[in-house]
Amino acid sequence: MKKFLSDPILGVIILLLLVGGVASFTVDVFFTLQNFTNFLSGSYFVMLLAMGMTVVLISGGIDLSIGAVMALCAGIVAKLALQGMSVPLVIVCALAVGAFVGCLNGLLVTVVGLPDFIATLAMSAFATGILFIWTKGTPIVGYMDETYKQIGGLAPIYRGVTVPMVTAIVIAFALGAMLKKTKFGVHLFSVGSNRLATRQSGINVTKIRILAYVISGVCAALSGIIMAGRNTTVPPDLGGGYEVLAIAAALIGGASLMGGRGRILGAILGEVVLAMTINIINLLGVPSSYQKIFIGGILLLAVLVNQFVISLRTKILMRSTNKKS
Amino acid sequence: MKSTIKTKTLVLAVIASLVTLTMTGSAANAIGTLKQDALTGTSATVDTAATDAAIRKLVNGRTIKLGFAPPILSEAYTIAQQGAWNQMKDYETRYGVKWVWTEEAPLNNAHSGVETTGFIQNYVAKKYDAVFVCSAAPATVMQQLYKQGSAKGVEFYQFNSTEQLNQKSQATDATAGLSSVSNISYDNRWQSGALAAQYIADELKGKGEIIMILGPAGSDWTKLREQGFRAVVKKYPGLKIVGAADGGYVRDKGLTAAADLLTKYPKINAIYGENEDMALGASAAIDAARLKHWDGKSGIITIGADGLVSGMDEIRKGNLTATVNVGYADMGRTMIRTMFAHKVLGMDVAKFIRVPTVIVDKTNVDIFQSQIKAELATKVKY
Amino acid sequence: MKFKNFFFRSVSITGIPIFGLLIFIVALFQFIVPIFNATVGDYITNLVPVLLLTVGAAIVIIGGSIDLSIGTVCGLSAGITMWTLASGLPTALSILLGIATGAFFGLLNGFIITKFGINDFIATLATLNISGGLLIVLSQATDLYGAESEFFTSLVYGSFFGIPTSFFIAGAIILLMQFLLLKTILGRRIFAMGNSGAAANVAGINVRNVKLATFVLSGTLAGCAGVLLAARLGGVQAFLGLGYEFTAIAGAVVGGVSLAGGRGSAAAALAGGLFIGTLAQGLQLIGVEPIFFGIVSGLALIIGVIFDQKIQDIGQLRSRFDSRVLAQPPRKEGDHG
Repeated sequence: MKKFLSDPILGVIILLLLVGGVASFTVDVFFTLQNFTNFLSGSYFVMLLAMGMTVVLISGGIDLSIGAVMALCAGIVAKLALQGMSVPLVIVCALAVGAFVGCLNGLLVTVVGLPDFIATLAMSAFATGILFIWTKGTPIVGYMDETYKQIGGLAPIYRGVTVPMVTAIVIAFALGAMLKKTKFGVHLFSVGSNRLATRQSGINVTKIRILAYVISGVCAALSGIIMAGRNTTVPPDLGGGYEVLAIAAALIGGASLMGGRGRILGAILGEVVLAMTINIINLLGVPSSYQKIFIGGILLLAVLVNQFVISLRTKILMRSTNKKS
Repeated sequence: MKSTIKTKTLVLAVIASLVTLTMTGSAANAIGTLKQDALTGTSATVDTAATDAAIRKLVNGRTIKLGFAPPILSEAYTIAQQGAWNQMKDYETRYGVKWVWTEEAPLNNAHSGVETTGFIQNYVAKKYDAVFVCSAAPATVMQQLYKQGSAKGVEFYQFNSTEQLNQKSQATDATAGLSSVSNISYDNRWQSGALAAQYIADELKGKGEIIMILGPAGSDWTKLREQGFRAVVKKYPGLKIVGAADGGYVRDKGLTAAADLLTKYPKINAIYGENEDMALGASAAIDAARLKHWDGKSGIITIGADGLVSGMDEIRKGNLTATVNVGYADMGRTMIRTMFAHKVLGMDVAKFIRVPTVIVDKTNVDIFQSQIKAELATKVKY
Repeated sequence: MKFKNFFFRSVSITGIPIFGLLIFIVALFQFIVPIFNATVGDYITNLVPVLLLTVGAAIVIIGGSIDLSIGTVCGLSAGITMWTLASGLPTALSILLGIATGAFFGLLNGFIITKFGINDFIATLATLNISGGLLIVLSQATDLYGAESEFFTSLVYGSFFGIPTSFFIAGAIILLMQFLLLKTILGRRIFAMGNSGAAANVAGINVRNVKLATFVLSGTLAGCAGVLLAARLGGVQAFLGLGYEFTAIAGAVVGGVSLAGGRGSAAAALAGGLFIGTLAQGLQLIGVEPIFFGIVSGLALIIGVIFDQKIQDIGQLRSRFDSRVLAQPPRKEGDHG
């Protein structure tokens, strides 16, 4: 019981139950399999972004370029597919680009020593610029076929199972296991909590930080590949604003801007909360003009619940320790 | 006896062929007008050599500097720009005009419009001859800018704008309170929203349920199209709008919005997307929900508005039922023609020029898609 | 002598390098595009609201937090100002209400963050959405233009000795903030809190109140920026202000305000904000296609920051601060009270 209470994602779970519960009562179609699969299908690629962001946040950094890199990789997929390249090769290329940009981010932040806010913001401007030059202001079209439809989740690969769903689950397990069970994961947390001490203990902090950004870049690439399929075209302004969503999801899920904290499952649930919010807005028919206020309210609710849970947990833990003594 | 019948038949034949020729001729002209130079007519019938020479003399090889300020870089404005370039090339060939063309657009945050202020001030500082503006900033703000710029000799033309919202009457003031020389657009209410609703009404024979995917709240275009759409729906008691959601003018959000609404209302007959991207997102949502597209008798009608090449491809494939082609290329050409008429030839131009819009569906997609493609294929660039 | 000390101290904390770079690119642009100096009045007048936002952002960042809501709060303040003005309220009252809107949201932010201990990123993201949403609702409900007030327009369009009035207003505000940061006890406490909330707490500083103060300041500055923006535009529409927060934060960081907290100044923010704005203007005048804009500004951003850091390395300023920062005990979420 104690362990459950001290898990940072308790807050998100409570929030989910709270909002979901209210929604189920107010909108009858909310609590249906079709609705869940619906709004989840649109959230898998954001989950990937949120997971990558969590890794970077744990290492004590931040990656503002994740949205632009997603768009850039989507553009690469589209361009290469139009040239007739085979699907597996296209995917490899896109992943390579994502990893490359992540590496650049990491180098800028470690070797060059730029603040991560500026480095990744600049990278975001680069990636967007490159995409604009390629597209010349017009969306890339004509690359879609049955395979890409499946990649984008517009068509299932088996009954209700889609590629984005599988990708998100696989990456979640992989990253989660990496964080908990590998030495690299342990090092990530320690770099995020106290960089100097970690460096002094002999660990190669630079390598770890760069790898964190590479992971985030690869996640952005995966997300971009899915997006290329889901959106069926790649317009130059694709993916605007998703980095803020990714950060919000990660933070709701327990990560911290200070570093040293975060949970993959938390990021996923955080994104579910955000996607659920939009879903409820649409189902309830909240007038367009009030939507932003609604979203702001839900965000506040999310963090209030989190805080409440943390303070409740502290109280309960203190009381049990007091009892012992 | 025989000769009378022969003559009669001959006369009838001549009349018949004359009628046929006139009809096809005017049809060709109706479409051809979109390409013709309104000033002098470039059909094979009229010899423009003398006029061309005279205008060429007037132009005297001068350079005209034009500024282009769309609200964002997107396909619609690329088409408009290409239309403008093609018209400019015509004039360069015929009249020897030299052109300088600069485009400035914010890369994102299209609906704020504040950056456009800076762009316009720079065009004025660089002493450009004319600036074509489409901006989401409030009309009063823009008109103020135009007023200041006009005082310095720069002419302003608005395109694709929503001055219908704030248009004052020309009853006593020919300028209608506007400092822009001319406003080349289409009426978002009656030439876009209303057309879409009318198409739905006709196809569904006046009975059915509709959901709307709107653009972002606070956008003037959204407001006007919705107004026109709802006005027509009102006329049909059997037609009902059961739900609406915000699609943000982008395909992904449109998909999510449509998917959510389809969960709530699976038995609707039509989805209206206020722009083509969102309508296409809605189309994808229909596929995902394993529902049927409109085939003329049953299924869900999807209709958008813009008139982009990709949209028309989807119409061919049956994924999109129809769209409102608002004539971006036409706007581009008309912008240049109007400016040239006013600035160079000193003509008095209409304050509000509305380009023709049309519903494009499977029956006429060949005409309008080929037209846009032809404009984009010229490889003219400035 | 005192002024000289103040000046060197304020610019030496950070700011000199970027001001230098600024002068360099101004000269460069003037050389490439001779009409540059003719546009200075215009583009800086447009920049003034963003500069105020940059200073506000800097104050919060120096204190160790971040405020994402400044853009939309600025827009909402502009909207409220326009609305009250168009409704016939006296000009002074409208201006006051606009500034008060900003202050209110600053208070709200600070309260949520300090009282409930909520993460500042999400809290200000929430207020960003709320204030942005309120502006949309306001713009749908009523016309946000058409106010006739000579005094109001003169705030931006008037001038003393050829320099626009808004320069003086903004300059005075920024100078005040610089003084506050460097010369008052509150300012010192903000720096201390930014360096280490735990240490500041131990030293007896009421971290909660200081943090609240930084958000109120940032919100009020956003309110002032909103008033000036409304005066400049003469009309407000639904999405005003969205996106300004990133420009403001980037400006502050380029100027030398460290996101780790505890370092920077209003002058630094001003330098950074002017740098970014001038860069944009120069590129536009040269005629860089909007497509290349992103790449060029990204490069420039990087160069500007590297330049700033290198200079500080030379001046041994950065290493000193950074080792102090790094030597702290690990920071936890509730660190800042």
